[in-house]
Amino acid sequence: MSNNIYADEFAIGKAKSETCLGCHAIPGYNNVYPTYKVPKLAGQHADYIVSALKAYQNNERQHPTMHANAMGLSEQDMKDIAKYFESLK
Amino acid sequence: MRNLKKILIIMILIPSSLLSAGDYNSGKEKSQICAACHGVDGISQIKTYPILAGQHKNYLVHSLKGYRSGERKNIIMKGFAENLSDQDIEDLSVYFSMQKGLTIPPLK
Repeated sequence: MSNNIYADEFAIGKAKSETCLGCHAIPGYNNVYPTYKVPKLAGQHADYIVSALKAYQNNERQHPTMHANAMGLSEQDMKDIAKYFESLK
Repeated sequence: MRNLKKILIIMILIPSSLLSAGDYNSGKEKSQICAACHGVDGISQIKTYPILAGQHKNYLVHSLKGYRSGERKNIIMKGFAENLSDQDIEDLSVYFSMQKGLTIPPLK
């Protein structure tokens, strides 16, 4: 039973993360102006990912693409996405 | 004229290659202060602080410069980053990027 709940959470998080993968899952993919590689997320702490998404949402961290993406996320979405990336160790 | 060209080329090439390299051992030494929050080798035990191990070097550079300038707002990190030179940032970023940790998520 508990395994099923875990599997469901994982599937939900994975589904919600699809948009992220377009940039974060491409090896060597660059942000431009300025140029730097899009950060690695697999294995990152979920709590930190949630705080980063909130910082993008309220512009404490300025990044137009991440701001736009974060604006569309509920608190639950952020947690689901963050747990998914954290689980990829 | 040829010599002038050579000199110009050397002037362009040398500083960028020297400054952007970053030194692993210097980075390791300078990273001791980071370890209190980000863990030894960049694996933080405090879940609200990011794991740095294995992160892309130039993303770490971008982050630290953002904290230093205040563009990325974080009062704790600003305090530390304000004291870092460009060379310190290069060294630290090389060190943490070369630790085993974060990876790129799978596409499927």
